[in-house]
Amino acid sequence: MQLKGVDLRAHKLGLNLAMSLADARAMQPKLEAIEEEPEEDAQALDNIAAWCERFTPIVVLDPPEGLFLDITGCAHLFGGEEKLRMEIVTRLHAQGFGARAAIAPTPGCAWAFARYRRQLQGEVTDAFAVLPVEALRLDADAAVLLRRLGLKTIGQILNAPRSSFTARAGEQAMLRLDQALGRAQEALMPRRPAPPVFVLRRFLEPIFTGEAVLHVTQDLCGDLIEKLDIRGAGVLRAELVLFGVDGRDRVIGVNASKPLREVKPLMRLFREKLNIVGENLNAQFGFEAARLDVVRLAEFDQRTQTLVSVDAGSASAETISGIVDVLSSRLGAKRVVRPQLNDAHAPERAAGWRSALASKGQDQLIKPPADGVQRRPVRLFSPGQQIEVMAGVPDGPPIRFRWRRVMREVVRAEGPERISGDWQKYEKTRDYYRVEDKQGRRYWLYREGLYGESETPRWFVHGLFA
Amino acid sequence: MSPRPASFSLLEAPAPDAGFAGKLTTMASQPLHEIGPAGPGFEAAALGFTLALAAKWAGPAGIFWAGEDAAFAEEGAPYPVGLAQYGLPLDRLIVARARKREDALWAAEQALAATGAIVICALGAQGKPLDLKASRRLLLFAERYASRCLLLTPENGPSAAWTRWRIAPAESAAQPDELGLPAFRAELTRSRGGPAGVSFIVDWDAHERSFAEREMARDLSAAPENGSADPRWARAV
Repeated sequence: MQLKGVDLRAHKLGLNLAMSLADARAMQPKLEAIEEEPEEDAQALDNIAAWCERFTPIVVLDPPEGLFLDITGCAHLFGGEEKLRMEIVTRLHAQGFGARAAIAPTPGCAWAFARYRRQLQGEVTDAFAVLPVEALRLDADAAVLLRRLGLKTIGQILNAPRSSFTARAGEQAMLRLDQALGRAQEALMPRRPAPPVFVLRRFLEPIFTGEAVLHVTQDLCGDLIEKLDIRGAGVLRAELVLFGVDGRDRVIGVNASKPLREVKPLMRLFREKLNIVGENLNAQFGFEAARLDVVRLAEFDQRTQTLVSVDAGSASAETISGIVDVLSSRLGAKRVVRPQLNDAHAPERAAGWRSALASKGQDQLIKPPADGVQRRPVRLFSPGQQIEVMAGVPDGPPIRFRWRRVMREVVRAEGPERISGDWQKYEKTRDYYRVEDKQGRRYWLYREGLYGESETPRWFVHGLFA
Repeated sequence: MSPRPASFSLLEAPAPDAGFAGKLTTMASQPLHEIGPAGPGFEAAALGFTLALAAKWAGPAGIFWAGEDAAFAEEGAPYPVGLAQYGLPLDRLIVARARKREDALWAAEQALAATGAIVICALGAQGKPLDLKASRRLLLFAERYASRCLLLTPENGPSAAWTRWRIAPAESAAQPDELGLPAFRAELTRSRGGPAGVSFIVDWDAHERSFAEREMARDLSAAPENGSADPRWARAV
């Protein structure tokens, strides 16, 4: 068994990662060894990454033990780069994690300095050059190979003629070098998709009240709109992330049906949402920072604004999309819906409902049902509700039937309309009848299967005519 | 005899409120109406009457149909194909379902802020009766934004609505082997500033988006005020 990690005390006693457990035990009989748990470690790393999102939304996992934080545009909120670095390290220490951090212009450089040198002084390239080749983030074999070639420091590679590096170790080393020095792009995949636009605020004192949260949200909305203004874009979906002092965060998302580029309508959505989650914010420990992300944005169409003042008809449409936003944010997007007609024969699939937010900009007319479609009920039961048919004519509509415990006498009937089932789903053919009972109530009934297929065919109410 | 002067025949013209058509014209300019089933089992008819009014009045701002889950679950889900055939403009229809009654009322209030909108607020039979304040709020919103609200509720409590209708289905007027137009027996049980207690039998022509009043209904409306002159009503379940 091999040592996979040592803490500071073990390190000071001379233990290191190259040792086997038996050797380590021989050196330090009182050694306390715990079996490796890679999954738990991965989970812990992810938790730390989530916690780090209070400093920037762009956090990249670098397993088994590393994280990259893209702090572009964030450092000033924490009093500068060095203060931010110190804060991260100290607070991770306070949580019981050993941590080292470095800030550098490229991920590769930062990786190297965090592991091989604590502080960055002087020119980046000079400081980088004195680091060992392992600092290039190479596969273990590649580093070994470089050392065999007599290359011990990055500087030696920098000075060696480029052409001498071929295949295997060479190629990887050159790529890493170029990336570290910013000559080549390095694409890193953030833990969560990076929001195209975000604004971050941290508070001098933790905030506790809903009122304070609203106030902060208002400020963030203002910052965000300002940023969007520069980009000429509008918000479609925004998420407010509140970072708790307890290390947990809450996310509150809102959707707009058309791009928003003003504080007021955006704030209205958040106010509505915050009113609902109000008591569940769990702010007892307070929030120390908040971030507002634009998760989806859209180019803001100048024409939509001018159209409104010209045409009175679209003035009300303007309000309607605002109403859809507000309703969706309180009731939920799936509960505010527009009708949709599908090109399907089976009644259940011929129509449906979809979020009114999703059908944004869907001013195109919904085609009316084809003329060939016979009369359909305004309300549909899905699935149909079984009825008890008391008397029936062979291959005809029922004369009397019982539904919801009440007997109904059919006085008139129209049909049958045969609708074939989907043979792939083993659905039976249905014969539909539109019937009226003695009191004038109208039902959409069907018999399942062809007449004569079974002795007692099953009947259903599929819908009600108004 | 010389022909009557034109002005004379004008005097003989029916009062604007006479008949269902006249009533409808008056209603069209009033902000809040309440519609309910005349008895249990007539919920579909009450909804049908409500939808017909909405289809008739719908303008560019369209129709919002806000209801609590209870009002949707019992009678089946709204079915777009049937709604289109019923005369509703699908491209201007938004349905909002709320878990709780207060959310449904809130949604209706919000929707009323769309000037010119027709807002159907559908409530279920469960829950505590609607208080006067709730319908006053709907009225207030509808008045402020020049929109109209159709409150669909089986309850009979106090209400700020301009009219209250109790709806039962009416027997089809067509041949026995076909279903005729949707038909209602509509009783006006309350009307602000007008006579109440009138009954009409009307057919809804979805294609024309118009109601046609049946002649025979005039006789039935003269029936005793306590209602159920028609034996079919007594058997309603």
